[in-house]
Amino acid sequence: MNFIDLNAWLGTWPFRDLRDNDPASLLTRLERAGIQRAAVSQIEAAFQRNVQHTNERLAQSVESYADRLLPIATINPRFPHWEQDLLRCHEDLGFKVVRLFPCYHDYPANDPEAIRVAHLCAERNLPVFLPHRLEDARQRHWMDPGRTLDLAEVADMIAAVPNATIVVTNARGIQGSALWKRQDLRGANWFYDLSLSEVHYKLHTSVSNMRDLAEFIDQGGARHLVFGTHTPFSYPSAARVKTAVLPVDAETLVQICSGRAEKMLGLT
Amino acid sequence: MSIDYDEWLQYPKIDMHCHVWNMATEAEERASTEQLITAGTMLGISEYWCSAPITGGVIADIEDIRIRNDSVLRAVQRYPDRIRGMCFVIPGQYQVALDEVKRCLDAGMIGLKLYNQYKIDDPAVYPVIELAIERRVPILEHAGFIEAREHLDRQPLISNGRHFANLNEHYPEAMLIHAHIGGGGDWEQSIRWMRDTSEHLYCDVSGSNLDDGQVEQAVQDMGAERVLFGTDGTMCGSVGKVIDATLTDEAKRSIFFGNAEAILAAQGTTPLHAAEKVAV
Repeated sequence: MNFIDLNAWLGTWPFRDLRDNDPASLLTRLERAGIQRAAVSQIEAAFQRNVQHTNERLAQSVESYADRLLPIATINPRFPHWEQDLLRCHEDLGFKVVRLFPCYHDYPANDPEAIRVAHLCAERNLPVFLPHRLEDARQRHWMDPGRTLDLAEVADMIAAVPNATIVVTNARGIQGSALWKRQDLRGANWFYDLSLSEVHYKLHTSVSNMRDLAEFIDQGGARHLVFGTHTPFSYPSAARVKTAVLPVDAETLVQICSGRAEKMLGLT
Repeated sequence: MSIDYDEWLQYPKIDMHCHVWNMATEAEERASTEQLITAGTMLGISEYWCSAPITGGVIADIEDIRIRNDSVLRAVQRYPDRIRGMCFVIPGQYQVALDEVKRCLDAGMIGLKLYNQYKIDDPAVYPVIELAIERRVPILEHAGFIEAREHLDRQPLISNGRHFANLNEHYPEAMLIHAHIGGGGDWEQSIRWMRDTSEHLYCDVSGSNLDDGQVEQAVQDMGAERVLFGTDGTMCGSVGKVIDATLTDEAKRSIFFGNAEAILAAQGTTPLHAAEKVAV
């Protein structure tokens, strides 16, 4: 099976030491888990207002690994002339994905300026990645806002830009989320990665919510799933184990593990 | 070298931290327990140590507590070859709590589950600890090193590694288990507090937090023989983090199975299934 990780990272997290956070060691680590390629964001961009220097550095750092690491451009819609950053990343640096950090750059995902980013990305066929969380809020450092993304706001973004491709990474609880409850958006081009959800079981108070992704899949959610690990924040094998038990047919599994990513990243 | 997932998924595992619940109907209760077993079987989990605690710091009546423990006993009766029980009590209820522990252990449960009604090193907990020592059973306590006010306010009496280390000083022979290092909270601090404690203080790897390095940190600070495999509902994540940990195969086998086996041996019992490959 071919695996493309849509949720990997490079760089430094200020509150906890991360290992395997440079291109060479990240690739080795992913390879150990049988993962061949990854889309990577630079962590530091979450904490910067002017993110373009970091985008430039990320482009340089993965240059020698271009066949295996695909850089994700961070855009901060609160910073003036972000449009120029986006054009530079897409046209000159060859980035194929954009990452937004609403919880760290301090705006709601349905903010008009964030929606403008999504519009511009849709015009250019660039998927927009939104991390639900970078670290578990319950362990947050006092300098970390420790917020999680509001999936109702993400639903608003998807509704506002129906031709955009939106990927929510490292989230839990999609089955009962405000996004999944939006029946009108179930056919839209949004995706949800395997980093954090469980598959056949979760803590529950009723049998109606005792299954996680398995229930989501039963309700038609398989078309929204993609493979992501949140490495090096998280153990990559947590997501790999999920692929061993996902209740989907072989062709759908291929789509989840690599097919959708290949299409999204223009690798086919 | 690549990880052999098939091999590790087939390796038997004792999930020493999971739950069953008393549901509105018997059918629901049965379905909930069946789902636990179905999901775990796919991952090689051969035995489940289950409890039904009252959460949120609530000081419940003993009748409510007995209802919970009875639901665990029913699960054990339904799946005697898969499920074992952990008795939940609120230690400050003193004699009532001790009587409930005796009732549950006499009915076949193999350990105690405490939640966040008292910190583990509160002297109010001592009588329960002493009874557990006498019966040679483990005590699994809900835990996490939580500092952020908005989270700590929800469970001000949650225990962390420091409290476990304190109690370990008083009762080095007590088999204490710091629950879910991945259950939320600063696991690095909690684990560090338990460095240099006695061999009977353990932690389990369960919880939804899948932070890379947490299993290795626990092994480094406490030793591989003091780290236990549990899920607390995060099945794939907990199996995945142990499989992925940069540890020897022997250490991983101890975490998945051997260390729980040693805890059972202290009370003169054995795992429900031998440590042989299981079908997944």
